[in-house]
Amino acid sequence: MSADARTQILTRIRTALRQNGAVPMPPAALDRRMTAPPTAPLPAMEDDRVSRFIAKADANGIAVDHIASLQMLVPALARLLSETGLKADISVAPALADLDWPKDWQINFAAGRREEHLSVTFAAAGIAETGSLVFRSGAGSPATLNFLPDIHVIVLRTGDIAAYPEEVWDRFRAEGQGWPRAMNVIASPSRTADVGGIVVRPAHGPKAVHLFLLGSD
Amino acid sequence: MQIASQQFRERASEALLDPNIRTAFDGLKTGFAAARARSVAALPEFPAMREAARNIRTHTLENLDLYLERYEEAVRAQGGHVHWAEDAEDACRIVRDICRKAGAKIVTKGKSMVSEEIGLNAVLEADGCEVLETDAGEYIVQLAKETPSHIVVPTVHKTVQEISELFYERHRAYGFEERVTEAADLIAQVRAIMREKYFTADVSLTGANFLIAETGSNIIVTNEGNGDLASMLAPVHIVTAGIEKVVPSLNDASALLRMLGRSALGMETTAYTTFMTGPKRAHDLDGPEEYHVVLIDNGRTKMLDGPFREMLRCIRCGACMNHCPVYLSVGGHAYGWVYPGPMGSVLTPMIAGLEEAGDLPNACTLNGRCQQVCPVDIPLPDLLRRLRHERWEAGFVKQTVRWSLGLWAWLATKPRLYRSLTRLGMAVLHKLGGKRGRFRRLPLAGGWTGSRDFPAPQGQTFLDAWSKGAKQP
Ligand code: SF4
Repeated sequence: MSADARTQILTRIRTALRQNGAVPMPPAALDRRMTAPPTAPLPAMEDDRVSRFIAKADANGIAVDHIASLQMLVPALARLLSETGLKADISVAPALADLDWPKDWQINFAAGRREEHLSVTFAAAGIAETGSLVFRSGAGSPATLNFLPDIHVIVLRTGDIAAYPEEVWDRFRAEGQGWPRAMNVIASPSRTADVGGIVVRPAHGPKAVHLFLLGSD
Repeated sequence: MQIASQQFRERASEALLDPNIRTAFDGLKTGFAAARARSVAALPEFPAMREAARNIRTHTLENLDLYLERYEEAVRAQGGHVHWAEDAEDACRIVRDICRKAGAKIVTKGKSMVSEEIGLNAVLEADGCEVLETDAGEYIVQLAKETPSHIVVPTVHKTVQEISELFYERHRAYGFEERVTEAADLIAQVRAIMREKYFTADVSLTGANFLIAETGSNIIVTNEGNGDLASMLAPVHIVTAGIEKVVPSLNDASALLRMLGRSALGMETTAYTTFMTGPKRAHDLDGPEEYHVVLIDNGRTKMLDGPFREMLRCIRCGACMNHCPVYLSVGGHAYGWVYPGPMGSVLTPMIAGLEEAGDLPNACTLNGRCQQVCPVDIPLPDLLRRLRHERWEAGFVKQTVRWSLGLWAWLATKPRLYRSLTRLGMAVLHKLGGKRGRFRRLPLAGGWTGSRDFPAPQGQTFLDAWSKGAKQP
């Protein structure tokens, strides 16, 4: 029945298009459009991409800090934990497992848990246009860590900030690792306005997002 | 969802008498419509981006068969399953069978308009599943046994107090004994309840804002993170999508997403944009074991075959309703089905049938705002006009309306008689209007005078005034 529906639907589409003057793209042109997709007009960007990224992320409610090297991440986290009064019981993306983590911290290097106070993950790219972060799911980067924690701590290499998402897609295409199960583009903490139009943070995801920008451009 | 569009007149009249509805929907003008205007004004490139968005949708629809085949191939290459459904019944059966095979008891849902179009929840519930909308707004209307009144903000019609009452009554089952009245506390309850459900669900269901042929992904956009969590925590993820949702590449999706956020909410982007591609990979630490997509026709190929093809460009942003004077005064429920406002007045007759859709094509003042704000430039007024014509041709217009229009048409071809009768009518109304010059009530015009006065005619008929004016150079 399903295979049948497929044929029927595709046949109806073809008949409809033929009868109503649609101009199908020649296969070679279609192939080209798929392998080298065109980019539509983009919003102009006057500032350099790093300052634009920081300004946008900040406006979206993401706290932005700088660290010179990955070595600085653990001390920065220790400060954040003491400021927020949280226990050192956190989840960390396996991609960051090799850092010098304190022995007395409880660290889950795996997928997110039902109750998750703080997680630390590594973003694959930043987008200056919207101040967003892009995550690729994988063995080192479980997607659940981006959504379950109350506080989401993100590390991003400053050099991985692109101006537009189209640049990020180009980079991923060129890297040739294929498409991961999930790409999460995150622009702000979770929110809703479904009760009386009043903005409430958080809804289902993190209530705070804290970004550490790593190194210089 | 049952279609009640034939009762549009009755429902609209009731809505006009409800001051809550008027206040709630009026807020959309100052809220979303104003935010959209600001974000468009801030972007000199907007017209060019809009044209590109329109062209992407047109190009995809003109090659829909090829892009669907490529999309299907890409999903399969990633280990996902693609199912094709002719109509609502077919689609529900496919989803129900996947749920049965998974032994599903709890189904968590991200927002999906097409799932409401095909009436999926009722089918799964009849099969013994607990189906939970996870988007806070959708959850509230589900709990209240109502339907969304707006496609982006389903709860526009509900006050905080109503929601507080509802939760107090229904959330005791989850151990929330206290009455809470603040938005933040109400949302905290939803968060806690859903957190449990995400982890215990057997199947998750989401829609797709777009499907990408290049990668085999479906995209969902949320501000809450609900559909994202639902789909990564249940062992089986099912995507329901209309066949028109496909776009060629990630670049095309990015171009359309720029239009979507701005047109819907006046925002550059939503908090979350998630691209999902197939099931969990061998080394992944999370994600569903199974990934299914159900591609649904349900009237779409019929739309492709003729003048309504342009409607398939729709990206479900809701801008047309936020700017529609009819929608803003009668609210979303008057339309009687899943899709309200101008887009609904075209989609309902196309999907559910001209007869079922009743008077919807007439719920329009032809002011043209909807097309102006539509991010993909759909000629909604033209399509509505065409539907009115088709309704007339098909004999779905009431006998009294036909008779009076027939009489008017006859009269209009007899200029002398027409002029003297209108002059007479005006003189009578002018006399009756008295010093105030307005009518609070007028027989046969209660629909007009209920929400505004009817001005009594002053001076001459339009034709008299016009011909006099025409004579004066
Ligand atoms: S018809 Fe246009 S404005 Fe209305 S929902 Fe669809 S895309 Fe948005």
